[in-house]
Amino acid sequence: MSHVSGGDMPGKPPLYCEREDWSDIVPIPQYDGVNPLAPIFYNPEYKDATDYFRGIVKTGELSPRVLELTEKIIRMNPAHYSAWQYRYRTLLAVKAPLDVELRLMDSLAIHFMKTYQVWHHRRLLLTLLTASPSTATTSKPLPDAFDIATSELEFIARVLEEDSKNYHTWSYREWILAHVDDARLWLGELPYVDDLLEADVRNNSAWHHRFFVVFSRGGKRSGASPVEEAEVLQREISFTKDKISLAPNNPSAWNYLRGLLDHTHTSWGKLVVFVLPYTQLQPTTHSSDEVVDLDNPKPPAEAELPCAAALDFLAEAYVREGGEGVQKAVTLWKSLANEHDTIRKKYWEYRIKEALASKLV
Amino acid sequence: MSTQATDSFGLSLKQLGKKGHSGHSVRCMQGLPSSQVEADTSRMAIGFYALGSLDILGTVNTSTTDVDRQSWIDWIWEQQSSGVYGTGFKGSPYMIGEQDVKPLQLAADYSEFDTPSLIMTYTALLNLAILRDDFTRLERPGLIKFIKACQREDGSFGALPSGGEADLRPLYCAFAISSMINDWSGVDIDKAIAYIRTCESYEGGYGQTPYGEALGGTTYCALASLALASKSPSVTEHISAQHRATTIRWLSSIQQTEGGFSGRTNKIADTCYCFWCGASLELLGAPDVANEAALASFLEKCQFQWGGICKAPETQPDPYHTYMGLATLSIYNITKGNAGVDPSWNLPSLHVSWNVTDETAEWIRKHLSSKAGQ
Repeated sequence: MSHVSGGDMPGKPPLYCEREDWSDIVPIPQYDGVNPLAPIFYNPEYKDATDYFRGIVKTGELSPRVLELTEKIIRMNPAHYSAWQYRYRTLLAVKAPLDVELRLMDSLAIHFMKTYQVWHHRRLLLTLLTASPSTATTSKPLPDAFDIATSELEFIARVLEEDSKNYHTWSYREWILAHVDDARLWLGELPYVDDLLEADVRNNSAWHHRFFVVFSRGGKRSGASPVEEAEVLQREISFTKDKISLAPNNPSAWNYLRGLLDHTHTSWGKLVVFVLPYTQLQPTTHSSDEVVDLDNPKPPAEAELPCAAALDFLAEAYVREGGEGVQKAVTLWKSLANEHDTIRKKYWEYRIKEALASKLV
Repeated sequence: MSTQATDSFGLSLKQLGKKGHSGHSVRCMQGLPSSQVEADTSRMAIGFYALGSLDILGTVNTSTTDVDRQSWIDWIWEQQSSGVYGTGFKGSPYMIGEQDVKPLQLAADYSEFDTPSLIMTYTALLNLAILRDDFTRLERPGLIKFIKACQREDGSFGALPSGGEADLRPLYCAFAISSMINDWSGVDIDKAIAYIRTCESYEGGYGQTPYGEALGGTTYCALASLALASKSPSVTEHISAQHRATTIRWLSSIQQTEGGFSGRTNKIADTCYCFWCGASLELLGAPDVANEAALASFLEKCQFQWGGICKAPETQPDPYHTYMGLATLSIYNITKGNAGVDPSWNLPSLHVSWNVTDETAEWIRKHLSSKAGQ
C-alpha cells in the first residue's frame, strides 16, 4: 500500500480522508451546537476517524473495514460506547471469528483496564463463545465452556499481575465463574487466592474474592452438605486466624472474620480466646514449656499491640453478650477513643452512646 | 503519639482557594484538551462537575456571562432526544452530523447506536436547575418511558436502554430522576430495592453489582437510592439495623490516617471518596462519626496551587475531584465551633441524596417536582 501521508511525520498512518479505500464514504463532521459545554479540542486523527464513523453509521454499512475503523476509535477513546456497540453488531454481521476478536481484546484490556466498555465487550463475546449450542463463528474448532473459562481465568490472572486490585477485572473474574458455574473452576480459586494473599496479605480484593468463592458464589448454590459446610467454616476461621497472626493490623482479615461469622450465624464468643492476646499491651511471652496452641496462633513478638481491630472485635463480642458485656465493651471503646484509635474517636464515642441508650430501653 | 496526631488537625485552615477553584471550573466548561477525549460521550457530566462547583462556590452568575448561561441551557436541551426507547439526554452531540441539524432542533430520533443515557439525563437535569431553567421543555411522558426501558429483569438499571453494563450507578440515576420529577411510574421500586440488597457486602459497604467488593461510590448510590425511595427521611426502613451498623463501622474504618477516606479497605485516601463515604454517613444518620477536622485537613492539602482540587496531594486537579471536594465541605461545615478555620470554608448546605446545593434543590422542587401530572 502506498498511501501518501498528509501528516508531517513520516511513518504516521494516513488519515481516512487520505485513503483511496475509504473514498466512497462521505465523512460527516460533528455538529457541536450553539455554545457547547465542555467542548474537546479533538486531535486531527480522532476528528478524522469519527467523521468517517458517523458516515458509516449513517449508511448502515457492516463490513470488515468497519472493524478497523472502530478499533482505531476505541484505541483513542475506549469509552466511545457507540463505537463498541457498532463494532459488536459488525462482528456478528460479517461472522468474524470471535476467538480472534478475543485475542485482540487481550491487549486492549491490559491497556485500558479501567474502562467499563472493554470488560463489557468481553462479556458479550464470552456469552456467545460459551453458549450451548454455540453459534459463534471461530477460526478454530471451539473448545468447551470449561476450557474457554479456564483460559479466561489465566488471562485475568495476567491482568491482575498489572494491578492486583482492579475492580473491573475482579468483577469480570467473578462474572465468568458464576456464568460458567463449573465445580472444577470453583475448586481452583482458593489456591489462587492463597497465592495472592501470600504475595500481599492486605489485598482486600483477594479477601473479597475468597468470600465470593466460599460463601456467595454469585448466588449459585455449592451443593455442600451441612457437615461439609461446618468443615468449610472451621477451615476459613483457621485460615483467617493464621493470616491475622502474620499481620495483626490488617483490616481486610478482620473484616473477613467478622463477615464469615455473621454470614454463618456463628457466635463471636468462640473467637475470644484467640482475640484476647491481640488486645494486650505486650505480646505474651512464649515460655519453652508452654504448649503451643495451634488453633489460636499468637501475635508475633514484633507486633504493634494492642491491635485496634482486635479491641473492636472483642468489644463487639462483649456487647452481643449483653448484660455485663456492655460495660466491658464500653471500657474497650473508651480505650480506642482516647488511646489506640484516636482518628476514630467520634466513632467510638458514638458506639458508647448507642450501646448505653439501647441498654436503657 | 496518636493523640497528638488528632490535635495536630487542630483546625487552623487558611483561606479556601475559592477563586482558583472557580477559575478551574470555568476553564473546563470552556474547553478540554485533546488528552481528555475519553470524556467525549459524557461531557454533560463534566459540565455538572464544573457548574456544581460554581453553584457551591456561589459564583455561577459572577464567573459566567448571561449569554453563556443561556446558550449552555440551549445546548443542554439540544441533547434531549426521543426515539423508540423514549426520551432522555445524551452526554454530547458526538454522533450528530453538521448537516443533520438546525440549531435548537436537535431532538431528532436517535439511532440504536446513539441512545440517550440515564447518567447523562440525571446530570442534565441538575445542570438545568443550576442554570435556573424552568424545565418547560422537558418531555415528561417520554422520560418515564425511557427510565422504564433502562430497567433490567433483575431490578438493576443500565445507563443505556439498548444494552451495556447494568449496576448501582444508573439505578441511582433512575431513582434521583424519578424523585426530581416526582413521578415513580418508570421504576419497579420493589425489584430495584431487592437488587440493591444483593449488593450488600459482608464488609458493610455495597458492591457495584451483586456480591461485589464493598466500594465507597456504589455505597452512596445504594443508600441515596434507598433514601429517595423512603417515605420517611431515613433509609432504615429498607435495611436491617445490623447491616446499618456494619455499614457505619465500615465507612468509619476507611477514613485513613491522612484524614481522607479511601474507597475500599486497605486502599489510599482519595478526594472523591471523602464525598461518597462522607455523604453515605450522612444518609445513614451518622455524620458525626466522621473525623471532620482530619477530613478538612486532607482536602486542604489536595488543593492545587493554581486552582482546582486533586484526588490526592501532589497530583493534578480535574473537575470531578474539584466538585467532590467542595461537595464534601458542603456536608461537613467545619467552620462551626472552630475559630481557627477561615470563614471561607463555610459553604452552602447540600441536598445529599440529589447531590446538589439545597438552594438548587429548592428550585427543582418548585419548577420540576411540583409540576408532576401537568
